[in-house]
Amino acid sequence: MNEALTDPILIIFILGLAISSYLMLANNEKKTSMLLISSLSFAIVGITSSAYTYIIHNKMVVQGSTTFCSSEGLVQCGSVIGDPQWNNLFGVPWGIFGILSFSILIFLSLCLYLDRHAKWSEDYLNYAWWAGIAGLPFVALLIIIELTQVEDAPHICPFCTIAHFALIGYAVSIYFLKNRRNIGKWSENEG
Amino acid sequence: MARRRKTLVQKGRDDDVRIIAGFILGSILTVIMLLIVIIAPPATIGPSEGELAPDFSADAYNGANWENYKLSDTFDYEWEEGGDGEWILVQFIDTDCPYCWSEGETMSDLYSQWSGNVEFITITVELSINNHDSDRAEVEAFRDKTNYGTEENDGDGCNSGRNNCINRPGTIHNWNYIEGSSSIMKDWEITGTPFLALLQPDGYVAWNQYENQGEEIESAMQRLVGGSE
Repeated sequence: MNEALTDPILIIFILGLAISSYLMLANNEKKTSMLLISSLSFAIVGITSSAYTYIIHNKMVVQGSTTFCSSEGLVQCGSVIGDPQWNNLFGVPWGIFGILSFSILIFLSLCLYLDRHAKWSEDYLNYAWWAGIAGLPFVALLIIIELTQVEDAPHICPFCTIAHFALIGYAVSIYFLKNRRNIGKWSENEG
Repeated sequence: MARRRKTLVQKGRDDDVRIIAGFILGSILTVIMLLIVIIAPPATIGPSEGELAPDFSADAYNGANWENYKLSDTFDYEWEEGGDGEWILVQFIDTDCPYCWSEGETMSDLYSQWSGNVEFITITVELSINNHDSDRAEVEAFRDKTNYGTEENDGDGCNSGRNNCINRPGTIHNWNYIEGSSSIMKDWEITGTPFLALLQPDGYVAWNQYENQGEEIESAMQRLVGGSE
């Protein structure tokens, strides 16, 4: 098996995604709360995996290599995060973009979780939806870069992929929440 | 009597939870930033002395063909001051720039003296000036001193089309000529050519032409790299 896939940190991130997905799909009486926790959980996995890719980025810039992620094979970080042409957007590393983007998503979900009946809750739900959707083209762009543009492409950066899945999971959670709001099941006692 | 169903409109909390959410997010970000700074602090990257040279990956002409070249592949990350290692002389040129044309000879002289312990690279860029268009054929001819253009000032050839590239001052440049781009120019803060920078073997900028207007590159290399061959 590819060395990168057995990384304990990667396994922790995969577990985080699995738990977030379970919370999103599980059926119980407190479905709205569960979906809000699920969106928060996806966003926290996203921000931590983005931070991890930024740590790998810094290690690679300063040391030329890192023990934090494999540099060989199809699934690896070296050729993706270590590629000076593609590892940034306008000079800002993608990891920083991820941290900032998931910060916004965490804030919106946290506000909704703490007070889902506030006056602004409907607006914030819409902001969360549009913010999640806005990130998807960047995910598509990064996947295209990994598969076609980086040195000796294709490569798949596992920690970047965790962040991509976290964003997709977040958007799906918010979609379910919007649905619940639209059909009048926003409050727990409404089903 | 029909019972009228009551619609329950739930009110939000009295306090504004957005402030609490902001504090929680601030705490999360603080922990993340602290971890990043402790585990892998970001390097200061730039062309100024003491900064890590901006990395790039681009096609390079080595005298035979064009191949990918990544600057950081030449870095020796284990290098320590005073230790052995190959320094890197980075030159930015525009094949149509008159000063770059005449610096061809200086570069040949430097190469003949320091090629043993300095890696030479030339990054070719196009300045936004009339008659400063250059294609790969012109870059190859500039490097190899081969027939390209005329000796007439007709816009055809090197040095703003004033010269045939075969007559460039100096000898053939036996090092990589890299195809520059606007992003490389931006990262290196290039405002004009020629520009020279000397990097330590570990990739940190040891000498930047803009910061040493009074010192020639030859004396800088003598001072920093040491005796020539």
